[in-house]
Amino acid sequence: MAELEKELFEGEPVIEFQNEKDRRNFLKYATKVGVGSALVMVGAACTDQEEPTTPDVATSPDDAEATVDNNESPSPDGGDSAQVPQGDLEILNYALTLEHLEASFYEQGLKGNLLSGRDREIVAAVSAHEQSHVDSLTQTIQDLGGTPVDKPKFKIPPATFKDKAAFLKTAVTFEELGVTAYHGQVPEIQTPDILMAAGSIAGVESRHAAVLQKMIGGDPFPGPIEASKSMDQVLKAVKPFLAS
Amino acid sequence: MDRRSFIKGTAAVIPATVALQMLGGGRWVLAQTSDFKDPVDVLNFALTLEFLEATFYNQGNAKNLVGGAELGLLKQVEVDEETHVKFLTDTIKKLGGKPVAAPKVDFGNAFKDRKSFLTLAHTFENTGVGAYLGAAPSLFKEKELLSAAAGVFGVEARHAAVIGDLLGLKAEGGVFKGARETAIPKDKVLKAVMPFIKS
Repeated sequence: MAELEKELFEGEPVIEFQNEKDRRNFLKYATKVGVGSALVMVGAACTDQEEPTTPDVATSPDDAEATVDNNESPSPDGGDSAQVPQGDLEILNYALTLEHLEASFYEQGLKGNLLSGRDREIVAAVSAHEQSHVDSLTQTIQDLGGTPVDKPKFKIPPATFKDKAAFLKTAVTFEELGVTAYHGQVPEIQTPDILMAAGSIAGVESRHAAVLQKMIGGDPFPGPIEASKSMDQVLKAVKPFLAS
Repeated sequence: MDRRSFIKGTAAVIPATVALQMLGGGRWVLAQTSDFKDPVDVLNFALTLEFLEATFYNQGNAKNLVGGAELGLLKQVEVDEETHVKFLTDTIKKLGGKPVAAPKVDFGNAFKDRKSFLTLAHTFENTGVGAYLGAAPSLFKEKELLSAAAGVFGVEARHAAVIGDLLGLKAEGGVFKGARETAIPKDKVLKAVMPFIKS
């Protein structure tokens, strides 16, 4: 993955979180999986020196404060809507972060005239799906009593959009990464309905990956079973998107 | 395990709101665990579908309906389906179950020409996608099986998309079936494939 990062982004930071809370939450995954010290990023309040060392979100005073800051309104049914396991909410926010990255990437890529005809038709549909995933994940996290991560600020190197080949190659990388990220969480999800929701998105990411692979002359069917990556591995792969 | 006991644990943590509506909640209430009596039953259901697909490509790819790169892709699909058959068979045996036998099949006029071949292929793949998703809740507690089935599901989705693309179908509604996959309940899957199964 390290070579891939270098190849794609030349170590350029491409993601910046909109606020300190999101940055901290994202870092929390990293802490949890033991790559915290390897992650470098810029948050809205990058002077903050205190990083959570525990993955236990619910008991962190920082987070309680952040929740208040975020103006989260109590749920209509008296506050017991946040009873989905915290781990599942974290997985949904992890998925949301990746979907934000994809949606933002396609939005930028489609602004230019890199694609036309059939290629454009396909990628426009893919782009719309990613935005739909962002919207539905955001809504779901809210409805379950969680706080969805705000859309991070991405700094994707201009070279990524310099021509059709570069754009599509990166698209394939993102889609394949997304597929492995979802599959890595399948055994971790504790709520059947959330599994089904994630699964129904994962299948679409697989479709994207395959069709885009075909478009660039890659291998649409890299194996008989989808590969999976842990949060740790995915975070390492997205590390270059994090501003330093 | 009946459906009630299966969902009992989750009923406590999922509020009676429409929290999951946005992600398509309700689309898989149809995936009733009572459709399957145990994990082996789920795997045998999948095995029947994979047998059907593997045989379909095995026959169709030999009929000179497609060529070049397209045939290359379809041969990859054929190998994938054969691998799924082997994987499911081995897994069922490992669990102490008895794998179903390969069904006798008849694909009618599907091999008349390229278009009819690819069109039925597209249908089979999309049915497979929906079938795996629909059966997923029945494997929920068997994390290894669940992960493996999900891995197969994703590959079926790849097949469906690429075949839709080979057919030149429009992106949305053809290559893709929306922003989310839709589960298909067991009875509907069986109804869809029964016309091709002769035993």
